[in-house]
Amino acid sequence: MKQKITVALAGNPNAGKTTIFNALTGARQHVGNWPGVTVEKKEGTVTHSGRKIHVVDLPGTYSLTAYSLEEIIARNFIVDSAPDLVVNVVDAANLERNLYLSVQLLEMGCKLVIALNMIDVARGRGIGIDEAYLSSLLGVPVILTNGKKGIGLDSLLETIVFEVENNQSSDNFRRFTYGAEVEDELEKIQNLLRHVNYSLEGPAFRWHAVKLLEGDSEIVKKIDSGDDRKTIREQVEKSRSHLKNIFGDNPEIVLADARYGLISGAIKQTVQIERTDRVNLSESIDQFLTNRLLGPIILFAVLYAVYFFTFRGSESLVQYSESFFAWLGANVSETLPEGLLRSLVVNGVIAGVGGVLGFTPLIAFMFFAIAILEDTGYMARIAFMLDRVLRGFGLHGASMLALMVSGGIAGGCAVPGIMATRTMKEPKERLVTILVAPLMNCGAKLPVYALLIGAFFSGDRVSIMFLLTLISWAMALLAARVIRSTVLSGPSAPFVLELPPYRVPTLQGLLIHTWERTWMYVKKAGTVILAVSVLFWALMTFPDLPPEIQQSFQKKLETLNSEFIKDVGASSVIQTPQALENFEKFTKERKSDNAKDLAKALAAFSKSGYKSDNDSNQRYSLMENPEINTDVAGKYLVLRAKRLEVENKEQEERLRNSFAGRVGSFLELVFLPIGFDWRTNVALLGGFAAKEVVVSTLGTAYSLGSVNPEKSWNLSEKLRNEPGWNPLMAFTLIIFVMLYAPCFVTLVVIRRETGQWRWTIFAMVYTTLLAYAMAFLVKTTGSFLGIGLV
Amino acid sequence: MSPTVSRKKCFDCSALEDNKCLAEKTVKLSNYKPGQKGQIVQVCGDSDFRLRMLEMGFVRGTEIKVVKYAPLNDPMEFEIRGYHISLRKKQAAHILMREPEIAV
Repeated sequence: MKQKITVALAGNPNAGKTTIFNALTGARQHVGNWPGVTVEKKEGTVTHSGRKIHVVDLPGTYSLTAYSLEEIIARNFIVDSAPDLVVNVVDAANLERNLYLSVQLLEMGCKLVIALNMIDVARGRGIGIDEAYLSSLLGVPVILTNGKKGIGLDSLLETIVFEVENNQSSDNFRRFTYGAEVEDELEKIQNLLRHVNYSLEGPAFRWHAVKLLEGDSEIVKKIDSGDDRKTIREQVEKSRSHLKNIFGDNPEIVLADARYGLISGAIKQTVQIERTDRVNLSESIDQFLTNRLLGPIILFAVLYAVYFFTFRGSESLVQYSESFFAWLGANVSETLPEGLLRSLVVNGVIAGVGGVLGFTPLIAFMFFAIAILEDTGYMARIAFMLDRVLRGFGLHGASMLALMVSGGIAGGCAVPGIMATRTMKEPKERLVTILVAPLMNCGAKLPVYALLIGAFFSGDRVSIMFLLTLISWAMALLAARVIRSTVLSGPSAPFVLELPPYRVPTLQGLLIHTWERTWMYVKKAGTVILAVSVLFWALMTFPDLPPEIQQSFQKKLETLNSEFIKDVGASSVIQTPQALENFEKFTKERKSDNAKDLAKALAAFSKSGYKSDNDSNQRYSLMENPEINTDVAGKYLVLRAKRLEVENKEQEERLRNSFAGRVGSFLELVFLPIGFDWRTNVALLGGFAAKEVVVSTLGTAYSLGSVNPEKSWNLSEKLRNEPGWNPLMAFTLIIFVMLYAPCFVTLVVIRRETGQWRWTIFAMVYTTLLAYAMAFLVKTTGSFLGIGLV
Repeated sequence: MSPTVSRKKCFDCSALEDNKCLAEKTVKLSNYKPGQKGQIVQVCGDSDFRLRMLEMGFVRGTEIKVVKYAPLNDPMEFEIRGYHISLRKKQAAHILMREPEIAV
């Protein structure tokens, strides 16, 4: 007796396979990817009467030809991993088409159990099924199940264990014969296969023969690698043309036709359909939801709702997690001594990883919303309604959702947007959607726009913002069109889209879906992001300023301090650098920041120091004199401002001297035609970590210290008065930021979702080239026409 | 826009009758109007497409009903074998049908 049973779940999309899987395994499931591809692989375990059952959820497929990646995966798993049993989930309300897969599974020689699912829906439609008779016709157990209500699961498990233990070999594959002509040819091919002695077993010989006869590309390839390929290929060719002559059609068509013939026969004997007067609820819902007029309106309302739910719904959670990382950063700052280690941990690790994990709640909300759209069946309607518009650009109806989430309405994020493409089955369309999604106006680009619009276009912010939204859509669609007709050319996949009946999703299903996808994001993104954050930190930190320059800045600070002491020494207790340091510590503890509080702090500070200082009465009066205290406090504030200026200047020098700064200076050559100087360049490099970093890095580069992207008005002011900056320059930079290389989190996700570095690099390169070209266009056109130069 | 079945593509078509393409004697599914239904005569096009359609149940003699057109007139929604499926008009033009009748 085998201790562990492996069971594969197979079935059509929308047959309720996932619901059965969730009901069987509950939380004991694990999601990963099938080796080498990005199709989700779900596995779980369930224990029944002391036996551990390992359940593998195969991708939902209509058939097992080599038509799609999903079908190849499902098929290879059954052939190569030889599960002990296959549970075929069959939608009772859609029996004919579902049985097509069952027949193919039988043909593969699988030990099969049919879970006849959603029998209640079928009954509601007046479809009566004699499951006992169906079972005897097919020669496999048929169990009535309802995944949602958990009905029939026990007897399903019971049957699985019984079948595995007692039914040693399955000869069901012999039940289906294709008529003498086909069988003769199958026999010939089988004999050859046997002769060549492939490591196949009974049913597999027949199945391979069938697939060869059908001209299945995968199997032909497999046989082609063998020694006696020539004899086999010749026999296959002979058989195929022989059958073509007899039936006047390709054998694969003849066989598919024959399978449906078998099914029709079985259906006639087991299914009774009564005409009911009951209106099909799903069809009545579609009267509204895909209505010519109402449909599109509802569609955009739903898309907006997804957007709203994702970004507004998660807002407070995102804030909590962001403030958690801010708190963590502040605490670590206090515990660790000043120096490189602190800088690395706080500015590199916590800021980087926190910045990305901070928006995990947003990702989770988006996946939840998408799970609702998928599980209800509305997703298919979105694709149905928008296909006409998007296919002209080489996209697919389902691309809309990904583009909206990425920032179709300004303020999204390409990371969840790209992950939303998981719902797309067409490989080319999906890839193009992934590649153009980063061109949308994500939330991180907005602070950059706000800064530049605020500085140069204060008059008509709304219309500029609207213009930017239009530009990004135009660019994304155009890029999609161009990519589809060049690097990703070729016919689009046939648009064969099932519109499943509307269903009420289960909360468990929604939560499991959301959790799995979110966790995958955290796990994968988290590790790479840590590495890249540290790298960026290092680029902007090393090499440090030469010691003599650091000393000269130190000296400047000391000079400022001693000038201040000279100035106020006569009228206050601050007479030595030591006293100044003590006073600063004192004010820091009291959190005194404005002139009034500082004056009070000064009085208190003087008093506290008085007893140990047996000095003249004159000084005592000074401490009590509010006017003098206010005067000293004012001068102290001036000192602070001057020191900040020096410190910011030092930071600017430090940045300029760092690797990133040097690269930025070097890039001045490249960006000469569009007029970006080293400050802009280094900010754009920083924006590669996250787009909003453009603002804070610009701040540092313009000696304003690290500017908070939310409050960048002083940087706006600075830019407005800086030579070389004008509205045209600002607009050029906006266009560049909109289009250039996606941030590295997005790139990590692109790598994950496409599974290939070359597409990741392509995404980085083409966007930057596009950005450069468009910025150049804006710059030269503007200069030529003389727009926006003042 | 009238989708056509390319004669060139169908050179090895088995369904030629008196050397005439069936498309000339039948109605393309893309020309069916919402509410009309009828039986499949032949699925044309390349082998991949035909096989896929067959697998989805588009077998000769099967009844298809047009449920509706998408808001922008394309793709179309059909009911076949008790389920709903959507195809683009270009693809539906490869499915040759008998004269339509009005669905009840």
